[in-house]
Amino acid sequence: MDQRLAELVEELTTSGEQQLEPGRMRELKKICKSSDEHIGHAYHLLMTRLNEEHAEIRFSAFQIVHELFTRSHQFRTLIISNFQEFLEFTVGIDHEQPLPPPKEVAQKLRRAAIKAVQDWHEKYGEAYKKLSLGYHFLKQNKKVDFQDVSARTLAERKREEEKQKRLDNIYKEKAKRAETEMAEMSQEIADTLTEMENCFQLLMPDPFDFTVNDTELEPNKQTIANEDKPASPSSSQIALHPSYFGRVDDEQPCCSKDLLSVSQCVKTGRNEELSEEQEKLEQKELDGGTHSELGSGVPALNDDDYQTFVRNHGLISHKYTLDLEISTDIKVHENEDNTAIINNIMDAHRLLRNKFLPTVQSWIQLFTRAGVNDDRLRCAIDLKNKLEIAMKKYKEMNISIKERKRKVMKASDDDDDDNEDDEFVEVPEKEGYEPYIPDHLRKEYGLEPPSPPSAPTRETSVGPALQSSWPQPKGNEDELDPTCAAATLKLIRDKLPKLPPPYTSKSATDEQAALEEPDSKTRKLAEERAKAPIMPFGLDLHYWGQDQPSAGKILKVSSQHRFWAPSEMEEEVENKEVTEMLKTRYITFAGKFEPVKHKCRAPMPNGGLCERQDRIKCPFHGKIIPRDESGIPLNSEDRAREEKMHFEKQAAQPEWRDPEFMREVEAATGVDLGSSKNNGKGGKKKGNKKKYPNLTDLKQQANTSRSRLEKKVFNKGAMKRVVKAMNRVDQRKHEKFANQFNYALN
Amino acid sequence: MLGFIAARQAGLDDPARLRRAEATRRVLSLELNKDRDVERIHGSGINTLDIEPVEGRYMLSGGSDGVIVLYDLENFSKKPCYTCKAVCSVGRSHPDVHRFSVETVQWYPHDTGMFTSSSFDKTLKIWDTNTLQPADVFHFEGTVYSHHMSPVATKHCLIAVGTKSPKVQLCDLKSGSCSHILQGHRQEVLAVSWSPRHEYILATASADGRVKLWDVRRASGCLTTLDQHNGEKSKASSEAANTAHSGRVNGLCYTNDGLHLLTVGTDDRMRLWNSSTGENTLVNYGKVCNESRKGLKFTISCGCNPEFAFVPYGSTIAVYTIFSGELITMLRGHYNTVDCCVFQPNFQELYSGSKDCNILAWIPALREPVPDDISEKSLSQQHLNPAYEDAWSSSEDEG
Repeated sequence: MDQRLAELVEELTTSGEQQLEPGRMRELKKICKSSDEHIGHAYHLLMTRLNEEHAEIRFSAFQIVHELFTRSHQFRTLIISNFQEFLEFTVGIDHEQPLPPPKEVAQKLRRAAIKAVQDWHEKYGEAYKKLSLGYHFLKQNKKVDFQDVSARTLAERKREEEKQKRLDNIYKEKAKRAETEMAEMSQEIADTLTEMENCFQLLMPDPFDFTVNDTELEPNKQTIANEDKPASPSSSQIALHPSYFGRVDDEQPCCSKDLLSVSQCVKTGRNEELSEEQEKLEQKELDGGTHSELGSGVPALNDDDYQTFVRNHGLISHKYTLDLEISTDIKVHENEDNTAIINNIMDAHRLLRNKFLPTVQSWIQLFTRAGVNDDRLRCAIDLKNKLEIAMKKYKEMNISIKERKRKVMKASDDDDDDNEDDEFVEVPEKEGYEPYIPDHLRKEYGLEPPSPPSAPTRETSVGPALQSSWPQPKGNEDELDPTCAAATLKLIRDKLPKLPPPYTSKSATDEQAALEEPDSKTRKLAEERAKAPIMPFGLDLHYWGQDQPSAGKILKVSSQHRFWAPSEMEEEVENKEVTEMLKTRYITFAGKFEPVKHKCRAPMPNGGLCERQDRIKCPFHGKIIPRDESGIPLNSEDRAREEKMHFEKQAAQPEWRDPEFMREVEAATGVDLGSSKNNGKGGKKKGNKKKYPNLTDLKQQANTSRSRLEKKVFNKGAMKRVVKAMNRVDQRKHEKFANQFNYALN
Repeated sequence: MLGFIAARQAGLDDPARLRRAEATRRVLSLELNKDRDVERIHGSGINTLDIEPVEGRYMLSGGSDGVIVLYDLENFSKKPCYTCKAVCSVGRSHPDVHRFSVETVQWYPHDTGMFTSSSFDKTLKIWDTNTLQPADVFHFEGTVYSHHMSPVATKHCLIAVGTKSPKVQLCDLKSGSCSHILQGHRQEVLAVSWSPRHEYILATASADGRVKLWDVRRASGCLTTLDQHNGEKSKASSEAANTAHSGRVNGLCYTNDGLHLLTVGTDDRMRLWNSSTGENTLVNYGKVCNESRKGLKFTISCGCNPEFAFVPYGSTIAVYTIFSGELITMLRGHYNTVDCCVFQPNFQELYSGSKDCNILAWIPALREPVPDDISEKSLSQQHLNPAYEDAWSSSEDEG
């Protein structure tokens, strides 16, 4: 029966369940009821279980104790005779022996134990003096609040309080630091904010603030979608007079439409300036001797006048409506005039986003955490709000930035183009070379103006940039650099002075194709240039195409000594390598990394396919060969080879040890024949069976990265190695300085 | 018992014999009794207890928060259930309360009108019990670990004080000044005790592991230094020479006849010395767990045949026979380290104070009921205490 009792206790306590299994419990109680001896035995068994370093075991054991305690006087006496220990195991009154993990179960155990002690005290406290002493001890010394649900002992509460206090102190300290930081930084933030605000003002005046000088700000305010689409389907292009059109462009993206009368147009004009301009236009039209009322294709119109007007103004007809769309969403484009401002604003924004906002947020967090609820917090929140407003404003601005890098890189080209354009505008002969372009071909020229003076407007996409004159001499510097494309261009230009130069790379090709001049070479060159890689300047380029007769020759000066001289000496040694060096260029070609896409896919014993992605050879399954879905090689020879290997492997094992057969035998007889061991790697895990599978594995929980690292670092071998190395270093010092007394001493 | 009484009546036996036998029996049956309680006054650990030797009725207790409480132990209620009342106390609100932990309290040996207390606040106070005012205060350089007044002195009125300094000081109550300084120890003096046999003999125990016996009439030096090896090994190792313990010696107690001296040390040993020769009697008590950094107050029974020593042993009290060194029993009841215990010789009761703020009374168990009316008695006992009943459920398979 004792045997059975021990079994029962073990089974009950290692179940890991929250509730005791009633069947076993009944049996246990029955055994205990039979005699006092069994109770004593059960008491000892339970105390050893309570001593176990696992909260679940303790919890189950405690539940059994509770059951027996209410039933047997003998058991009560036994438990109470050793009540200190019992409390240690269940309530954890000793600091050096806290309750074992897992933590949640330990908490539960403590709660249950405290509640039980209270119940017991109520019921038996009078009869058992030590029980009441224990109860009072818990209540008064350990300050266990029996009403407290969490059932924390005084020590725990104190610890928590201290922790809180420490945290508070830290927060306070931090808050103080943040305060000083804020005092220092707020000025800076305010400055940045004002700066940003000013930038906004410059970039985008208040829409309702009309007192600001419009004309000054307009170029910044809006840039232009400059494609003024020709309203009429006619193929002819329109070129407006720059002085006029530029201004309209500056205003708004505008669509021209047929218009019945200019007077109407004047009415429709929403903008004052625009109406002015319209008036101007009208004025001009009047000057031209035309009448707006005449409508399109008025036969009465003087042809010459009409033509001149059209030519002068790039208008096809007088029937234009100007529809202005004022977009509500603001969009600021960067251009040369506002670059500085935008740069400034972007810097400020970056500063705000990356530095100030996070700092201010951290301050607020700190203050709230430290419980600071005064001016400091308010100040911080104000700052944050301001910053956020500024950020929002920036976002609303929708500043579109030119890509800076590109701009820098292409700058020289653009410059060249511009310069060339300018040059060619100035060159008088150019007119002669300008071929006559028939009307039907005009659209092929893009915005190519029919008359030379209007040429610059073709580049309207640059917008105001055009108006600002670019520094002239810049191009010349570039041309001096032999590696620069500009130089090549200049060369070409020099050689083919009669050719009209390419305008922009895009339009140039079209143009040249249209011209069908012998400039195909130039075009090809341009194409090649586009393809050619950009290389750093080097010696080979320096001596490009030049012969270096003396290169690679080493001259040796004959000895000037009177007596002593080498018997024979070559005056000149030619070194091929040096010669080569001047002509070669090393270009490292590493190739591109291509990630491996295929997998090994060899079938594995667990039924899966090998997932390794080796390039050529899998370390486990050999050379990687193409396989189908189930891992069988596609090539027949591979298949044959693999089958052969499989057979050989099986042949190496005696037939009766076939694992499947063994397993069957084992299942039938119930004797372990070692089939699992035979299974090689797979068997290892199976042999490692857990003793009590129902309990929470404590080791598993302890398996954190920290513990693993600890295992490595505080490994005995590792420690020894380190100590050895340190000793060696020390020893070396000794050897080196052994003869010096102060080193020899220590 | 009946045999003893018959023999006593017949005059065959010495009357002391019956007394001794009964006292011994009672001491051996000491247990925690639910009928006896000591009022819970102290809010912190209890360092020291003393029962006045005149009547054996009043007990003083000193707590580690400086509080001193006076208990009445006598039960006049004529009921078995009794709680020892606190007669008066020097509480925290008292103007003259010790500021720090009270280490020792002692009654004036000849009268309950006066008692002394010493504390970690570097003072020794002489109290008037009736007014509960300090009659005199001695100040010292260091914290006071222990003091003692001779129970038998008639020619002097000296209090020996062991403080943090290695010098033992003797305070004269007649003049109100420190009259003597005994030099010889190298570290703090943790325990002092006058001999109950010779009024000028003083034993002191120190943290340097030495126990010295002094004759206070001779100021030049100590009489003898107790040596755990009885001088045998001391020649070989001079360093260990003349030490009573290998660790700190923090407890001292004379037997009632003053012929022997018991010491305990932090080397977890207890030693019995012949107080006249200073010889180690080499009684082996086994391990006596002792982790106290301060003085430890243990006591020896009085009037029993083999005398017993009650020694705090962690959270229990170990009872040893003095001369054979046998561990009789462990009294379990405290939930924290026991610091002091005191024996009441008249009723063979033991009181113990612990860090868990409890003073427990250990009372001799009542005699077993006489065997012949067993059924009746056991039934009545069952009725008396329903809590002792078993509560197995009646149905067979329920258990």
